[in-house]
Amino acid sequence: MLNLQPYADPTYFIYLLLALVPLAIGLYYGKRFVWYEVIVSLLFIFLIFDSGRYIQQGIALIIYMLWETALVAWYTSYRKRANNSWVFYITTFLSILPILAVRIGDTGLFKTQLTLLGFLGISYLTFRTVGTIIETRDGSIKEFSLPLFLRFVLFMPTLSSGPIDRYRHFNQDATVAPSRDKYIEFLGKAVWYFFLGFLYKFILAYGFEHLYSYTQNMAMADASQGWSWWLIGVGYSYGFYLFFDFAGYSLFAVATGYVMGFDVPMNFKQPFRSKNLKDFWNRWHITLSFWFRDFVFMRLVFTMMKNKVFKSRITTSNVAYIVNMLIMGFWHGLTWYYIVYGLFHGVGLVVNDAWLRYKKKHKVPHNKLTEYFAIFLTLNVVMFSLLIFCGFLDKFWFHH
Amino acid sequence: MTNKKKLWQIFGPVLAAFALIGLLFLLPFPLNHLSPQAIRESSVSFASNIIKGEAVKKAAFNNKETNYVPFFGSSELTRFDSMHPSVLAAKYHRDYQPFMMGQAGTESMIHYMSMQEMRPALNHKKAVFIISPQWFTKKGVNVFFANFYSPLQLVDWLLNIQKITPTDQFMAKSLLNQSVVSQSNLYAGLVTKIENGQALSSADISRLRLEHRILSREDQLFSNYVGSNNWQNKVVKNMQSLPADYNSTDLDSVVTKQAEKASNSNDFLIKNSFYKQRIVPQEKRLKGSQVKFNYRESIEYSYMQAVLDQFAQEHTDVLFVIAPVNQRWSDYTGLSREMYYQSVDKIKYQLQSQGFNNIADLSHRGGEKYFMQDTIHIGWRGWLEADQYIDPFLSSDYQDVNYQINDRFLSTDWQKFDSSKQNVESFS
Repeated sequence: MLNLQPYADPTYFIYLLLALVPLAIGLYYGKRFVWYEVIVSLLFIFLIFDSGRYIQQGIALIIYMLWETALVAWYTSYRKRANNSWVFYITTFLSILPILAVRIGDTGLFKTQLTLLGFLGISYLTFRTVGTIIETRDGSIKEFSLPLFLRFVLFMPTLSSGPIDRYRHFNQDATVAPSRDKYIEFLGKAVWYFFLGFLYKFILAYGFEHLYSYTQNMAMADASQGWSWWLIGVGYSYGFYLFFDFAGYSLFAVATGYVMGFDVPMNFKQPFRSKNLKDFWNRWHITLSFWFRDFVFMRLVFTMMKNKVFKSRITTSNVAYIVNMLIMGFWHGLTWYYIVYGLFHGVGLVVNDAWLRYKKKHKVPHNKLTEYFAIFLTLNVVMFSLLIFCGFLDKFWFHH
Repeated sequence: MTNKKKLWQIFGPVLAAFALIGLLFLLPFPLNHLSPQAIRESSVSFASNIIKGEAVKKAAFNNKETNYVPFFGSSELTRFDSMHPSVLAAKYHRDYQPFMMGQAGTESMIHYMSMQEMRPALNHKKAVFIISPQWFTKKGVNVFFANFYSPLQLVDWLLNIQKITPTDQFMAKSLLNQSVVSQSNLYAGLVTKIENGQALSSADISRLRLEHRILSREDQLFSNYVGSNNWQNKVVKNMQSLPADYNSTDLDSVVTKQAEKASNSNDFLIKNSFYKQRIVPQEKRLKGSQVKFNYRESIEYSYMQAVLDQFAQEHTDVLFVIAPVNQRWSDYTGLSREMYYQSVDKIKYQLQSQGFNNIADLSHRGGEKYFMQDTIHIGWRGWLEADQYIDPFLSSDYQDVNYQINDRFLSTDWQKFDSSKQNVESFS
C-alpha cells in the first residue's frame, strides 16, 4: 500500500504538486474548488495513515476529531447563551485531555493504553482547537461552521507540525480565491520556499544530523567521566539540525499552503540573528511562541493584574514568563529535560527583561560591536538550551 | 510585465532545474574519476561510502596497475602498525595490495550487501575474510546496518537474483527486519516478494533498472572525494621503520621492540593510547563484565552463511582469518575462553564442512605477547603471524574452488546449536 509521510522524500512533492495542479489552475482563474481541495486533502491525509503502524494513528485521529468537534460545537452554542468561566476552563481542559493522556503515556504510565490515543500532529491540532475555543470565549468567533472548522484543523499542508494558523485568519482565505496578482505572488514565493526548503531539510539538516550522531558517539565515550568537550559539538550540531530540519519542513508547509491559495504564516525568521532571548522567540517557531504569547502569557498577566496577585507589574510579568515557558516545556513532553528547557527559557526571559530595564536606566554603550556580541551571546545561550532540549544529556548522565 | 511573463520567471528556472537533473542522470559519461592515488587512499580509508556504493569498488577492482584484493573484516582492519597487511604489502612490493572493506561494526550481513555491488571482483578471484567471534551475539551486531546500507546495494541484490534461493529468502526476511528497508514503499514490496519466493515481474525489473541508473549516478557523483590521509599518515609512516628485506624473524624482533614500547603503561599489553582513552575511565566497571557473554548461539552464523553462499556462487578463493581476543584482558573481563573456543569450533565446522578449508585460525593465540594491539584487535605480532598465511595465499595463483553449500546453516536449528553441549559434527 502506498504510504506517504509529509515532505519525507522527493516523490512526495511530485505526487503532491501534481494533485494540486487543478486547484492551482482554478485559483489562477479566480475560482476556488473547495470540494477538490477537500478530496485531495483527505486523500493525502489518508495516505499518511494507511498502512502498518500508522493505521492505529489514523483511528486515533478520527476519534480525536469527533471529540474536539463535539466540544467546540457545543461550546459555541453554549457561549451564545452564557459565559461562565468554569464552563470555559472545563471545556479547555477537556480539549487538551487527549494530548495530556498521550504525554502521560509517554512517561511510561499506562503506556500501552494511553499512547493509542496519539497520532502524528496531535499537538498542532490541539493548538488550533484550543485557540478556537479561547477566541469563541472572547466573542471574536461567533458561529460554528462544521466544514470550516474541519478544514481549518485538518489543513493538510500543516497537519503534522504546523505552522499554527488562527481560525479567523484561515477563514479569510478559505472561501474566496486570491486576486490574480496576489496568487502569482504566492506561486513565486512558493517556488522559492520549496527550493530553500530542499536546501535546508535535505542538504543542511542531513549534514548536521550526521554531525549530531557523530558528536554523540564521541561524547558517549567519555560518559563515565560525566563531562565531555564533545557535548559542545552535540549542542551546536543538534541546534543547527533542528533549525534546518524544522525550518525546512515549515517552508514546505507554507509553500504548499500558498499553492493552495492560503496565506499560511511563517514559522522562522533568521533566529540565529536574534539580539536577545525575546527577539529569539519572535523569530523561532513563531506561530507557536505567538500562540503562547496570546493565549497563555497575555491572559495570565491580565488575570493576575485583575486579581491584583502581585503588587509589582515586573513580578507579574516575570511569573508569567516562567509559567508560560514551563507550560511550553511540559507541552513538549513530561521529561526532566523538556521541563528544564522551559524553565531555562523562562528564567532567561526574566533576566533578559531585567537587563533591558537596566539598559534603559543606565548609560550602556551601544554600537555595532556590542550588537555582534549580543547576537553571539544569544546564539550560545540558545544552543545551550537546545543541548538540554535534545535529551542527549539524559542518556549521557543517566542511561549510559 | 504580463502575467505570462511572470509565470515564466517563476517556473522557468524550475523547468531548467529538472532538465539539468535529467541530463545529469541520463547522459552516458561517468561522473567520477579516481586517480591511482585516490584509489590507493581509498584502500585504507575505511569510508562507509565504499561499502555503500559501486563506484569506488569498480574503480579499485577494475584497475590494471595494482592488484587490489578485498579484505573483508571489521574494526581490526583499522588497527595500523608496522605489520598491518597494507603496510607489509606496500613495503615489500608484493603482487597484491589489500583493499580494506570494513570498519567498526561491519559484520557479515553488511558485507553480503556490499558484495552485491562487486560480484565481478569476486568471480574466480581471491579474497581475505577476517572473522571476529564478537559478531556472534545472540541477535547479531547489525544495529550498525543502517550506517552501511544503501538502496543501491539492495537494487543490485534484487537485480542479481536469477532464481530465488533459500539464502535469498533468508536475506529478504532479515532485510525486512531493518527499518531502512521496511519503511521504503518500493523496496519493502519487492523484498517481500523475494521472501515469499515470488519472482519479480518484468515491470519490477525495469523499475529497478531505472533506480539503478539514478542511484549509481548519485554514487558516482559523491565518490570523487576521498576524505582520508591514511596512506601517508598510517601506511607510509609505518613502512619507514621496517628493514629493507623481508625476513619474518627479523620483523618479529623489530615489531616486538615497537610493541613493548607502545604498550608499557599496563599489564594487559594494550596500546598505551587506547588504554588511556578507552580503558582507564571505566577499568573498574569492566572487571568481570563479560562473564555472561556467549557467542555460541547467534543469528550471525546464518548471516555468515549468506556470505559463504555468495563466495560459492562466484567461485571466490577465500582465506578466512579467525581473530583471537587479548587473553590478559579477557581474563580480567571474565570472558570465557572455553565459550570462545566453542564458538570458533562452530564457525570452523560451518566453513570446513562446506569446503572452505583455507583458514588461518589465530583464535587460540590471544595470550601470546604483543599479538594483540588492544582488547580484541590483533596487531603487531598478530598481524605478522596473519601475514604468514596471507602472503603465501595471495602470492600464489588463483585455484578454482568447489564449495558444497548446505542451506541448513541458515536455519534457527544451527543458530541455536549449542556447541558446548553437542559436538558440532553431529549437525547435518
